[in-house]
Amino acid sequence: MAEVSAGQVARLALLFERHHRALFRYFVSMSNHREQAEDLVQEVFFRMLRYRTSYDPAQSFTAWMYQIARNAGVDQVRKRSAVQVVDIDTYVDRRAELVSASAGPEESASRGQDLALLRRAMDQLPEDKREILVLSRFQGMKHEDIAEVLGCEVGTVKVRVYRAIRALEQIYFALEREKVS
Amino acid sequence: MTCEQAKPRMTDYWSLTLGEAEQKEFSAHLASCEACRSEVSRVGALWQSLDLLPLEEPSGKVRERFYEMLGAYRQGLASAETQPAKRWWTMPAWQMAAAAALLAVGLGAGYVARGNGQPPAEVSQLREEVASMRQLVALSLMQQQSASERLKGVSWSYQVEPSDTEVLNALVTTVNHDPNVNVRLAAVDALRPFTGSPATHLAARNAVVQALPKETAPIVQVALIDFLAELKERNAAPELRRLVSDPDIDSGVRKRAEWALERMQ
Ligand SMILES: [Zn+2]
Repeated sequence: MAEVSAGQVARLALLFERHHRALFRYFVSMSNHREQAEDLVQEVFFRMLRYRTSYDPAQSFTAWMYQIARNAGVDQVRKRSAVQVVDIDTYVDRRAELVSASAGPEESASRGQDLALLRRAMDQLPEDKREILVLSRFQGMKHEDIAEVLGCEVGTVKVRVYRAIRALEQIYFALEREKVS
Repeated sequence: MTCEQAKPRMTDYWSLTLGEAEQKEFSAHLASCEACRSEVSRVGALWQSLDLLPLEEPSGKVRERFYEMLGAYRQGLASAETQPAKRWWTMPAWQMAAAAALLAVGLGAGYVARGNGQPPAEVSQLREEVASMRQLVALSLMQQQSASERLKGVSWSYQVEPSDTEVLNALVTTVNHDPNVNVRLAAVDALRPFTGSPATHLAARNAVVQALPKETAPIVQVALIDFLAELKERNAAPELRRLVSDPDIDSGVRKRAEWALERMQ
């Protein structure tokens, strides 16, 4: 990214190829909305290009990227809530759609974990817990980078990741009991 | 190591990111603590199984849009760099806008807010800078040789603030002079948001009124007539009456003009 800020805009293409899938998955995990996630990926690279001079080479690139991603996500939510009130029924339908669309043979019980149930548990996790779990587990970010993105101490990040996975466990087992009864 | 110290280290343990010394202490705690041992295996299984969740893949559209934006941005930079000697009064409006936007790129350090709290001033500056770059991309795309690139420029115009007069001017120029029917048609539609903004609604309405007599393609004529009817733009009545009485005009266009006149009554 340091090279990008030096004006070699084409270097951004390399960063795009390297990171756009991970970013897309982050936004899908947070919003459960593919189209919106694609718009946000575009927005993040647009802002990177725009603010490339604000990138400090001493800073982790991943942390910088997710700072931009979070801001873009917040702006998007603000814009949407100003324009329309989300219809709760469509919202719930969409989630059900996403879950059923992803249900495949590999969703059968594996290692004792039911993946469809796990997915539902992820969706029910409060947003802040889901985010920190996605960043550390799916985006493979280091605790130091997450701390930079969230603006807190590394120790706090570790505790919050732990609490998030425990909360996921509780939701998962609650869903499992529901299913059995 | 106590249980309280051990718990936040579990995720590092599962991810194999504990340091050597920490790993030793952690293992020693597990060996002596039944509760943590069972938690590590139970929650650890859940942690590992997150790997098995199917990964979402973005569609090819994401890549296409990214390279389109990058191309337009580079084009905008190049055209501003190769014409430094041009005097500002001979520059078309879009080039001035591009130059102004570039100046902002050079001067503005840009802000990326950290953490959760962002002062409103930074946010509004951020929005302004984003807006000026959207403008640059839209304007440079609208100047391209290929009609499909110009179409993309027109669609980018939806992303600027509808009070942006530079982009409005570029759209009006496109409506009046673009040789391609599809591009003109798209530009007519893209004028709509501008008719709703207090800063530009008069200019946008006038542009539609003035474009109608110049237009010769029936499909664009109909689009302009529909637009005028929707706006209930009475200044267009003389031109609509001329279309109704002109025997050489396409019959579909004539009928549409009659309909629009009725709607304006
Ligand atoms: Zn213990």
